[in-house]
Amino acid sequence: MNIDATLPGRAWRATANFRPILILVVAMFVFFTITQGAFATNQNLKNMLADSAILWVIAMGMTFVLLSGGFDLSVGATAALVGIFMVKVLALGIPGGVVLALMVLFGALVGALLNGIPIGRLNLSVFVVTLASMIALTGLVELWSGSESYYVTAPIAAMIGVDNVLGLPVPIWIMAAVFVAALYVQRFTFFGRDVYAIGGSPVAARLAGIRVPRTLMIVYGLMGACAALAGAIAVGRVGAATPTVDSTIALQAIAAVLLGGTALTGGSGGVGGTAVGVLFIAILQNGLSLAGVSSDWQNVVTGVILLLAVLSDRFNFSDLLRRSAEDEGEAGAGGPPAVAAEGQPRLNA
Amino acid sequence: MAAGTGHSPVLSLQGMHKRYGGVHALRSADLTISAPGVVHILLGENGSGKSTLLGILSGQTRPDQGTMTLGGREVRFSSPVDALAQGIAMVSQETAVAPELSVAENVLLGRGLVRRRLGLSWGRTERRARAVLDRLELDCDPRARVAELRPDQRQMVEIARALSSEARILILDEPTSSLTDDEVEALFRVVRQLKREGVAVIFVSHRLPEVFAIGDEVTVLRDGATVAAGPIDGFDEGLLVEAMVGADSAYGREAAPRSPARHDGTALTVRGMRVAGAVRDVDLEVGRGEIVGVSGLVGAGRSEMLEAIFGARPIVAGTLTVGGESFRPSSPRHSIERGLGFLPPDRKGQGLVLGLSVQTNLTMVQTIGRSRAAIPRPEAEWRRVAGICERMQLRMASPRLPVGSLSGGNQQKIALAKWLLRDPGLLLLDEPTRGVDVAAKAEIHAHLKAIAAGGVGMLVSSSENEELIELCDRILVMSRGRIVASLSQDEATEAKLVSSAGGHV
Repeated sequence: MNIDATLPGRAWRATANFRPILILVVAMFVFFTITQGAFATNQNLKNMLADSAILWVIAMGMTFVLLSGGFDLSVGATAALVGIFMVKVLALGIPGGVVLALMVLFGALVGALLNGIPIGRLNLSVFVVTLASMIALTGLVELWSGSESYYVTAPIAAMIGVDNVLGLPVPIWIMAAVFVAALYVQRFTFFGRDVYAIGGSPVAARLAGIRVPRTLMIVYGLMGACAALAGAIAVGRVGAATPTVDSTIALQAIAAVLLGGTALTGGSGGVGGTAVGVLFIAILQNGLSLAGVSSDWQNVVTGVILLLAVLSDRFNFSDLLRRSAEDEGEAGAGGPPAVAAEGQPRLNA
Repeated sequence: MAAGTGHSPVLSLQGMHKRYGGVHALRSADLTISAPGVVHILLGENGSGKSTLLGILSGQTRPDQGTMTLGGREVRFSSPVDALAQGIAMVSQETAVAPELSVAENVLLGRGLVRRRLGLSWGRTERRARAVLDRLELDCDPRARVAELRPDQRQMVEIARALSSEARILILDEPTSSLTDDEVEALFRVVRQLKREGVAVIFVSHRLPEVFAIGDEVTVLRDGATVAAGPIDGFDEGLLVEAMVGADSAYGREAAPRSPARHDGTALTVRGMRVAGAVRDVDLEVGRGEIVGVSGLVGAGRSEMLEAIFGARPIVAGTLTVGGESFRPSSPRHSIERGLGFLPPDRKGQGLVLGLSVQTNLTMVQTIGRSRAAIPRPEAEWRRVAGICERMQLRMASPRLPVGSLSGGNQQKIALAKWLLRDPGLLLLDEPTRGVDVAAKAEIHAHLKAIAAGGVGMLVSSSENEELIELCDRILVMSRGRIVASLSQDEATEAKLVSSAGGHV
């Protein structure tokens, strides 16, 4: 049996872009399990994951934005604005499920209109557009909330943020759902391919008939929807909507995506790597906190690893690893190589 | 002409050799400027070695063999800065001005900005720039932003920039290719002024009338060697063209005439098409199964015309039909849906997404028009991809490899093959074999002929006339945005194409 033909074999090959960071995550997990008795407990792991849900959901949306060749600085402000939106809409007596749907829709509109149209249709600079949205939305959050925090007692908030379903906190279920949806869109739709093509070369994509402006509008719309969902989780976990905008969450998400092997220049990478990138940040912060290391040192370590991860990409470290892994796989199985093994034509001269 | 300096020539290059891998860019090229204040014309077709020779002159390229003397003294340039220090300045084809800076800054950038203890003295910088502009009799405000200038004025700024370093030899690489007649006249006035001051000018141009209007001496390169040189009076147009293309140039004649597998009906008609700043009054027709070539110099509007037909560039006026039905290009997507295909000149940036797999690139166009939420069906795609790879004789380990890992020839075949998956009625090809080796070129030509034989109309633009003669049933010649000649396969020779493109039919 060829190892590459099995599902684990294919999954392993799919990690080629982020293998160093994956190995690091596993190593950290083992290390903290051994050194910190409190780390590998059921409760700590659940908390750690649930706490990382906000970053996870935003980073999933951010992956598509980076794949398309851009980034989005405004997601923290969007998340905060959606929190206030939630308070206002709940006050109208609308049922919780509908409110959640409206929030996601609202976030999608904010992303598509404020970022998607200027970037996609008007060809404005990604940095300028998303910076401007961030500043303007931060102002709107203050205006709309009257600079006040609101406790949210509606059951929908607790349900999203802290309730358990089948023994796991709801945020973890949301993470799983968002990941599966993102992976599906990335791998199994024409839209996903369009995003890669645009990130790889916008000119070639346009000349191949891909609707670049529309696709980018949807990409930033999806980003806004993810930010809205993250905003809902944030309200749920705190039990309140606050007018404070976490302006670093966008940069943390970009860092997680880059850690996961997606290129800042677009066109290469994927959500699988992003999942590992977020886990890296979550495990590092949780483990170091348990070890009594200050959060300042956590930041220093995260920054250094981010730089090393990008550097390793430059030196084709992952490429070398992948090649040696493929050699082993083929030698061990003695069968035909990957492509032929899947019953697909192998094309040779 | 200024007073000569004894017997030693101003500049002399002897026996220049340069190899790039297996390509002999220069083999025994000579060039001699006899006296100061001489305008020396450098002629040669694409690929004749002109660029390499200019590179050596301007210090960008180091020759493998050969000697260069300046005023009788042997020199060797280590860099463009070195060449400049010894008095040779070059104005390249792509004008390298910084558009957001002022004229004065552009003229003096990198060497002449006047410093004082802290920062720069703008007043003195402007006065110094003014002096250079006056010398060229240029009426142009040193404070104006270069972005606001006309193309010819920008070129003058580049010339002023080259002269601000007190150059004794000025190289102008196709300075007239993007200028109008009036602007060319203005440029010539400046060149004559330089002559009076004793500056020698090396002038590269494809336009023979200009060559005789401004030149004193000429050097003709072919296949990397100097094939003719001397005072311009000793030549006429016929002799120069013959020197450029070679007397034995019978390309196309030897190629087996294509059996004109005529298909009824037209693939494309264009009437009165105009594209802003590039194409005027273009009428043309492409029959089904016909390969129509477009010849012309760089900047003649060939690329712009193809882009406009494909909907990638707005059309100001004109009517088109595709497959007999009225057609208004609005976007590449729309054109693709109407059965057009476009092979852009730059496959790395425009024709392919290098980081994506061969398969994804091949199927990219094929799915246009289908819902983007739809799910690709891998098995069906694999069958199509396998079929097209076999048909195009694509050599690769697997279609899952990124396109960027393949050779140039294979990349170009993929950029072409992706259109075949859609069964196009009309293919627009811009430089279909640029940057591929000879074997791949022959293969691509064979493929194109086979595709045309299946009833596909083709409009092929190429700067290699040899290629057009080999490939096309009919060749249109463009000059300054217009079609100035139409030659059948029997009539077309390189000499005719070259002289038509230069403005003389």
